[in-house]
Amino acid sequence: MTSKTTQVWLGAAVLAASLVHASSASAQEPGLTDKTIKIGMFSPLSGANMAYGFDVVNAAKMYYDKVNKEGGVHGRTIELVVEDDRCNANDLVSAVKKLVEQDQVFMLNGGSCSAAAVAAKDYVVRSKIPWVMLNASADGALYPPTDYIFGAYSISQYAVGGSVVDFGKQHLKAKKIGYINHDDAYGAWNLEAAQATAKELGVDLAVESINPNITDVTAPLIKLRAANPDMIAITTYAKPAALIIKKAHELGITKPIVLAVTGTANVSQLVDNVGSKDALKNFYVQDVLADVPGGSKIKWVYDMYKENYPDLASKPDHPQAYMPYGIAPAMSVVKALKDAGPNPTREKVAEALRTQKFDSGVMAGPIEFGPNDRAAQESTIYLKFDGNQQTLVPGSFQSRWKYKG
Amino acid sequence: MRDKTAAVLPRSEADLPGLSARSSVPLGRVALLALAVATLALLPFAVTGYVLYIANLLLVFVVLCLGLHLVIGESGQFALAHAAFYGIGIYTSGLAGNAFGWPFPLSMLLAGLVAGAVGVVIGAVALRMRDIYLALATFAFGEAMQWVFLNWDQVTGGPNGLRISPARLGAFEILSDRQAYPVVVVMTVLMLLLTILISRSRLGRSFRAVRESEVAAMAMGIPVRRAKITAFGLSAFFAGVAGSMFATFSTYIHPDSLGFQTTILVLTMIVVGGLGSIAGAVGGAIVFGLISEFLRQTPSYQEIIYGLILIGFMMYAPRGLFAFIRDKVGGGTRG
Repeated sequence: MTSKTTQVWLGAAVLAASLVHASSASAQEPGLTDKTIKIGMFSPLSGANMAYGFDVVNAAKMYYDKVNKEGGVHGRTIELVVEDDRCNANDLVSAVKKLVEQDQVFMLNGGSCSAAAVAAKDYVVRSKIPWVMLNASADGALYPPTDYIFGAYSISQYAVGGSVVDFGKQHLKAKKIGYINHDDAYGAWNLEAAQATAKELGVDLAVESINPNITDVTAPLIKLRAANPDMIAITTYAKPAALIIKKAHELGITKPIVLAVTGTANVSQLVDNVGSKDALKNFYVQDVLADVPGGSKIKWVYDMYKENYPDLASKPDHPQAYMPYGIAPAMSVVKALKDAGPNPTREKVAEALRTQKFDSGVMAGPIEFGPNDRAAQESTIYLKFDGNQQTLVPGSFQSRWKYKG
Repeated sequence: MRDKTAAVLPRSEADLPGLSARSSVPLGRVALLALAVATLALLPFAVTGYVLYIANLLLVFVVLCLGLHLVIGESGQFALAHAAFYGIGIYTSGLAGNAFGWPFPLSMLLAGLVAGAVGVVIGAVALRMRDIYLALATFAFGEAMQWVFLNWDQVTGGPNGLRISPARLGAFEILSDRQAYPVVVVMTVLMLLLTILISRSRLGRSFRAVRESEVAAMAMGIPVRRAKITAFGLSAFFAGVAGSMFATFSTYIHPDSLGFQTTILVLTMIVVGGLGSIAGAVGGAIVFGLISEFLRQTPSYQEIIYGLILIGFMMYAPRGLFAFIRDKVGGGTRG
């Protein structure tokens, strides 16, 4: 064999070895090729809880489409596999396991229902797959913090409860707040932060915890009226919230009523359910977006929705209220993929997420994670709502609660 | 002593292959049994963890259906609290593992016994009721239990749900669906055999006697009260064991999963499969569970398709899927 031939063979061997080495990281990572990154999405796309996730997924999809049109992430196009989790724990775990084990996605971006999302926590952590939630707060999956699960892009339930007390104290000068929450996971979490914030701000709380399926709210409201609070904070879903607002008006309660974001899925429906705009004379709604829905700061999101889904946009009640919440999680995924470099691994992406901080321009506060914090967004804004017009209250408001481990 | 019920009562439809008291076993049934055994044995080597998760979940629903079959299908007691007993099983098993580190066989036994004991109490309380009144009373118990799961924070985790430690046996921990699968299969087979044994025993015949006519059963000397209470207890025991099976491959339970919807789902499965038939209970759980999972892939239309399937079953196969197949395949008109 001549030396030239030997050199050719050696060169080929070195080239092959370097190619194998270069592709080994990618080859070991499911859902990743030189041209594509496969991301698994899941959310309620059917049934009674569809309003919590359907348009949120659509928003994330249109953002990923935009990124793909602009060249993808490090030259890779984002491919989506979308599953319906029905807002149910067993179905959500089925969806996650299908995405990970059958569809072989690189990472997860899904979850709009907190109690259901928590069910997938152990599996995701054991499988070491980065999971960026959509609009689920799923505080049970975020605390204690893990290396792979990131959520509360809209807001955590802890921040919901704490910030409504902050708003009551700072803006409405309330010294005593009547606080109505659910007797479920949501309620327990937001009450914990409300109590911590109230303690720090020197506010008294009169608490009434109700069943989410309650049909008569007279008793809890009479008890609250007897406590004579300066305002009433409601952190329930929309259905009990409408009952409470209506009954408060019937009982002659004129103090300000503040409705947390958990009950604002469809404000026009809320007005219909309350029945009288007189009941909304002293009424505020909490929001987690950077501006009023459709306002100048986030108009581009609504415009993008109309452009991407003209048929849906022409239907009544579309886009759904939570639609913009899908943008920030998708931004977070794209940023983490970019930060992980041209040869991303699941570990690199999770690491990038753990120290991520950016302003989405869509949500009320920055998206920020820390060593002990996996809840992305903790700020809220408030809108005075008279049944027709929503007027922005200046400033943003935060919970004082912090996870202590 | 001669079994008074044996000569006069209708047979159960517990005609699973190889287990019939009759001397000849049809070849088709042997082939079906062989196919089922081969499928169960080969599944872990051929499919992903996701499919095994679905298989585990379906087998849990098979045991739940067998339990409901005993109280409704065999005994004719229209009880609607199955999700509550299932929940008792999950929480008992989970707490035994979390707090005491019990090995899963012991946790399973405890879960079955605790649920069974509560079932006996409910059976005793519900003795005087029947039909719609019994249904309402047991429904109320189911709702009350869900409230307990939701509010007994110190024990159940309340609205935060309960994180369940991995099932263990000595140093071995079940950490995946693949590891849980053999346990779930073995338990399902054991519970299926137990159902067949009960159905073919004197106890099973007394259940059916009570179902057909309490007065006639009493006239024949069958202890109706005891039969009813036993049916409730056994049904709850099955649900408790199903709960503990769930806890071998799932690490979290929330009271939302233990409401009336779950009871209705199990009831739908045994009705669609064929009320009063063990094969129907097993088949209903598998077929309906699979339909539900497949429909998840068509979110826009799943409620409509699901509804149409149910209506179709009720219109064209009112005696259940397996009676329908048997009639069509056999060309018979056995009613």
